[in-house]
Amino acid sequence: MIRVRNLSKKFRQNVVLDDINLDINQGDVIAVIGPSGTGKSTLLRCIERLEVPESGTVEIEDRVIGLAPGKARRKDLSLLHRSCGMVFQNWNLFYKKTALENVMEGMVTVKKIPKAKAREIALSYLDKVGLSDRAGHYPRHLSGGQQQRVAIARAMAMEPGLLLFDEPTSALDPELVGEVLDTIRQAADAGYTMILVSHEMNFVRKVANRVIFLENGHIIEDGTPKEIFSNPKSERLRQFIMKIDRLQEPDYVI
Amino acid sequence: MSNFFQVKTVFENIPEIIKYLPITLELAVVSFLISLLVGLILALIKIKRIPVLLQATNVFISVIRGTPVLVQLYVAYFGIPMFLKYINLQYGTNWNVNGVPAILYAIVALSLNQAAYNAETLRAALQSVEKGQIEAATTLGMTPLQTLIRIVIPEAFTVALPSLSNSFIAMIKSTSLAFVCAVVDMTAAGKIIGGRTYRYFEVYVSLAIIYWIITIVIEQAEKLIERKIRVPEDVPVPKKQKEERIEEHVTGNKIRANRKEAGDPGSESVKEIQAERSFG
Repeated sequence: MIRVRNLSKKFRQNVVLDDINLDINQGDVIAVIGPSGTGKSTLLRCIERLEVPESGTVEIEDRVIGLAPGKARRKDLSLLHRSCGMVFQNWNLFYKKTALENVMEGMVTVKKIPKAKAREIALSYLDKVGLSDRAGHYPRHLSGGQQQRVAIARAMAMEPGLLLFDEPTSALDPELVGEVLDTIRQAADAGYTMILVSHEMNFVRKVANRVIFLENGHIIEDGTPKEIFSNPKSERLRQFIMKIDRLQEPDYVI
Repeated sequence: MSNFFQVKTVFENIPEIIKYLPITLELAVVSFLISLLVGLILALIKIKRIPVLLQATNVFISVIRGTPVLVQLYVAYFGIPMFLKYINLQYGTNWNVNGVPAILYAIVALSLNQAAYNAETLRAALQSVEKGQIEAATTLGMTPLQTLIRIVIPEAFTVALPSLSNSFIAMIKSTSLAFVCAVVDMTAAGKIIGGRTYRYFEVYVSLAIIYWIITIVIEQAEKLIERKIRVPEDVPVPKKQKEERIEEHVTGNKIRANRKEAGDPGSESVKEIQAERSFG
């Protein structure tokens, strides 16, 4: 169980997250949806403390980790980073390292696993994402989809308690989206707890067991995909889903 | 006329001057290593914008870049002993001012001079590394120091290498000014030889040749390092696979040869294809 409490973040005068509270159960696959600019990515980045929020805590393994400036202790942050892995929109693979070295890096430097052992584990994770034959390739030799799968392997190899996906497919060519979604689904099926910010609504419907609708820094609705997509309670969510459905359904059918 | 310019003397001087090559190299290499370290620290101060230190760094870089290296050598040579004497007087310590080897003054001046330039080069190179990679390292749980050493510096070094090798070449030549600090490097040795033989011009030509050759060596070394550390253009082939490929090629040829011996009707066409290939 990971608890996010009182998370607030402003960029200057612009309130992006307003007192967010979120309980993440073991094995949850939570999809965060909402109009653009409502702080979906910021929510993930604050949980990982890549952005420093004005206030907020994350509770992991019964330890309360302060995120606000001055409240964060180095030891706590180290625990936070080890417990939460992240997959970025732009992959962010280490440019000068091969796919294998990318996956090994965290295990060797952070977990202090001996190199030979780390190599073995890294290869098994590359195999899981279907890229064991690309171990010696540098990021520049891989397609966007392959790079993102390496990035997922890199995050999974650290065995984090929570995996954060920040729009993992929105920078990809349409034909490469499928392979990455398949990989994410595998991770979900393998029991990883995860939060997923995505615009792939059909995917979200199938994979997530919980969907959060975020707007103007508030969690407006929180429920199963069925509740959210088929039976929205708030007017705002109803409008949002109508707009998306209009995009996804053909205008007319012969 | 035969005495106007003696080519022979130019080459005879070289072995004698070369004896002082170790001093020149020591001066250059030690100063450059220190300048890299100091430059890196200054660059980090500028990137992190640490108050007070940032202003001090800016003043330092401005002063160093705004004064000739010759003047800096003089300031080090006369200033450091004066400073030591002052400390001796003030605090009753007993530093031996005359015991400081001359080369130390030159190293201080040259390394601080180069550090100011390297700071800017390194700052630009460090900032060229994508922020996303630093974030990725952070989310893996790497500390800022681990991130710097394992992710940022290897990438920044590739960017900085051409400028740094430029600086190193400039450093080699700056060492020729070290004689003002009473260091006998190659140039100073040349001057001494010139004073003895009155063949100054030949000595300077010898010196020019030596410095040029050193520079060529550095340029080649830089190319080599650059090739070594860059991400390869093509997908790297593991050794094992490479061997297999070669083997395949060899066995392929063998099969063709066997066919030919057996009078295989296919051998003719194979031959043709091979001929075509060799033309292509």
